Amino acid sequence: MSDPIPLRSEAAPECRTCGAGAPVDEHFCPNCSRILALGRHGDYFSFLGLPRKLTIASAELERRFRELSRKFHPDYYYNASPAERLASLERSSYLNDAYRTLRNPVSRVEHLLAIEGLPSSTSNQGTTKVPPALLEEVFALNEELDEIREERESGADPAVLGARLAAARMPIDRKRDEHERQLQELAMRWDSQLAPSVVEGELASAQEKRATLDALRERLLERNYINNLLATIDREAASLAALRLADARSGRALP
Amino acid sequence: MSHVVGIDLGTTNSLVAYVKNGVPEVIRDQSGDALVPSVVSIAEAGTVFVGREAQRRLLTSPSRTVYSVKRFMGRGIDDVQDEAALLPFSIGGEAGGVVRIGVAGREFTPPEISAFVLKELKHRAEEFFREQGEFDFEVDRAVITVPAYFNDAQRTATRDAGRIAGLEVLRIINEPTAASLAYGLDKKNRGTIAVYDLGGGTFDISILKVEDGVFQVLSTNGDTHLGGDDIDQMLMRMVLNEIGGSAGSASHGISAQRDPAHTEVHRDPAHSAPMGADAGQVPPSTEAIRGGPATLVQAIRKAVIQAKLDLSEADTAEIRLDPSRELPNGYTRRITREEFEALITPLVERTLGPVRQALEDAGLEPGDIDEAVLVGGSTRIPLVRQRVADLFGRKPHTELNPDEVVALGAAVQSDILISGRREMLLLDVTPLALGIETMGGVTSKIIVRNSTIPASGREMFTTGVDNQTAVDVHVLQGERELAADCRSLARFKLRGIPPMPAGLPRIEVRFQIDANGILSVEARELRTGIEQTIEVKPSYGLTEGEVERMLIESFEHAEADVEARLLIEARNEAESVILATEKALRSPDLDEVARQDLKPGELERIRTAVADLKQAMTATDREIVHDKTHALNHATQHLAEVMMNRTVREALAGKNVTDV
Repeated sequence: MSDPIPLRSEAAPECRTCGAGAPVDEHFCPNCSRILALGRHGDYFSFLGLPRKLTIASAELERRFRELSRKFHPDYYYNASPAERLASLERSSYLNDAYRTLRNPVSRVEHLLAIEGLPSSTSNQGTTKVPPALLEEVFALNEELDEIREERESGADPAVLGARLAAARMPIDRKRDEHERQLQELAMRWDSQLAPSVVEGELASAQEKRATLDALRERLLERNYINNLLATIDREAASLAALRLADARSGRALP
Repeated sequence: MSHVVGIDLGTTNSLVAYVKNGVPEVIRDQSGDALVPSVVSIAEAGTVFVGREAQRRLLTSPSRTVYSVKRFMGRGIDDVQDEAALLPFSIGGEAGGVVRIGVAGREFTPPEISAFVLKELKHRAEEFFREQGEFDFEVDRAVITVPAYFNDAQRTATRDAGRIAGLEVLRIINEPTAASLAYGLDKKNRGTIAVYDLGGGTFDISILKVEDGVFQVLSTNGDTHLGGDDIDQMLMRMVLNEIGGSAGSASHGISAQRDPAHTEVHRDPAHSAPMGADAGQVPPSTEAIRGGPATLVQAIRKAVIQAKLDLSEADTAEIRLDPSRELPNGYTRRITREEFEALITPLVERTLGPVRQALEDAGLEPGDIDEAVLVGGSTRIPLVRQRVADLFGRKPHTELNPDEVVALGAAVQSDILISGRREMLLLDVTPLALGIETMGGVTSKIIVRNSTIPASGREMFTTGVDNQTAVDVHVLQGERELAADCRSLARFKLRGIPPMPAGLPRIEVRFQIDANGILSVEARELRTGIEQTIEVKPSYGLTEGEVERMLIESFEHAEADVEARLLIEARNEAESVILATEKALRSPDLDEVARQDLKPGELERIRTAVADLKQAMTATDREIVHDKTHALNHATQHLAEVMMNRTVREALAGKNVTDV
């Protein structure tokens, strides 16, 4: 979903109405002012006229989205030529996709990584290999989960097991909160590296920027892993809850 | 210039509206009635009746009269088998294919039946524009509304219906969103709005954000089988149980004990299972309903609907059935609003699940909603209003007629499209995720639900077996993880992939949803550039060729349709002449008049003429109805003069006219 490759019409970026050339990310032909087909263009950020920053004021994003919707929407091209109608469909689809991606902070980071040329952070490898930073927690959790499952199957009190599960969840929750903070910090570091630093008065080097992106990607991979762990815990919690309900119905669990 | 209209194509009723000087207005018939019942009846000779006339025929020709066809739009016979068993008309079709409805020796698809309703609305609008003195009164373009929770197949079927009716469908828009447009016209121009739409057969909830004239849907949810029909069903079941109980036979033919000769008739498929015109989805407990004869069930349905309507105004209502052959003692029952509310509470509660989900998807709490808007006839029920008010903590808007507001909004949208006016813009969403089936029968989502439309998405896939030269692309719609639990929209094969080891081909699948919410799919193998594009249709839809053929057929039947209309008009005229004559014949001093002023045998001639005309009206020959109406008019001319003169004389003699 975060992939930046254009919809179709990879053909030349010239205006299909008058044939004049148009710069990338121009929405309307500078020559005849007709809507341009979605040709070679940059990315979701530049399409919306936003810098490639990870902090986006949501009011600003909404405003640009509405403004461009009013320019591209197929409603307003009902009487236009087929070329313009297709252009309107493509351009508003792309706008909607851009808006949906940038509105969510995580998919926003994924999109940035993709357009900066980093390998996808949502691929399968990311979710099956344990990230080194999580080894300790994952080991402890898996051990505890195995024990809880075993005891559940041998008929232990689900209320007690539920409490153990909640306790086992706590370090993972803490880890996720920590990750959210780290993501936030990295996002701010990235944004500051884009602009000339106020203190040093010079741009960040390519290597420094790359290091930030790598760190962001690392955090996203870990984040996916943590979310999977939490989902596993939730599934076990649901099994326990179902047992407690069954017990309550059969009267066994009553004090 | 030909005209554009907005059409609300409803389960129970349909309406047409247009925009005049920037203001939307519903188009009514001469008697001021805006609603056209979505009922189509086809007589033996192929004559098609639509609307009120067709509704009357529910009682007389149940097997030839089709209602609630919206339930079958874009669905397959396997989806509707349970329901079909309960309908008085025949439902068929091949497994995995579109539903076919057999009426009067012909087969119709649901879009063809809906097209009859659309043509009636088109005709109504054209008559209206002609009476306005418009030189070009033709209506050839329309915006048609659908429930927000309609899937791709249901939307496509609706668009096909429009085309078969000879309309260019400018846009398919969602009913709650249309309603918000109608409300948005003179409301404050920003805020978060919840539109709660409980109609005859469907429930929708949409959450919108309105700012700078942009109506942006944040999320939508619903249930395409939840509506007023279900309430009617509950009440009908209650009545049938009570009648059955009193007759000493809880669930079998009500008159069976009394009149064994008729039990056979009741078992005849043409007469059994006569569900109410808007037969509820909830497959009723319906040995009871099935047991009853068509006319009785229709009579019960009529009575409970009246009681339901009354209970929106009063604290108690009466369900009354006159004595009839099937029910010799008649039936009367009072129902209080408390009883009614207890009965329907589970149904009202069922609407709240989708409401909560829509709020969650929009990332909002009930308290974030600035305005709540009620749409659909069922929102007249006080309990529904109360629950919505409780949920959002504010009194919902009901200023606009909930039956008409959707058609008004559709008209506004048609005007936006034609005029290019840019004050308002509607940004809707796709209600359900779209994806394709991958190895192991798992759904891979390509576009998530609540994505603003138009929307696109792409995903890369590959082969699972070495030297695989073709892949099946199975397009799905739904939120479930397993393909088998999602709606199958279409299947197609991408062929011609050069033999390669498994996992090497790069197959790109692209989805494009247009502004109507309708999907098209492209698949290509990137290494070779082999490409296939389809507009998603086949699973439960019509092919392009079928739509074309139906359009042509509808022109061929146009003559019969005009004939049908003329017949209806002739019958209406005949009816009014009969009514006037019968009134005169009931006059208390008719005997005196006859003695003093009429020729011998004159009254008999009039009575014969009435009988002749009534006889003519049971057939479908318009000319005969016309002739007999003329004959009756002629026969009563003298009587009318005599009565008039007497009235005048008596008035002059100082007698009060009303005493005559």
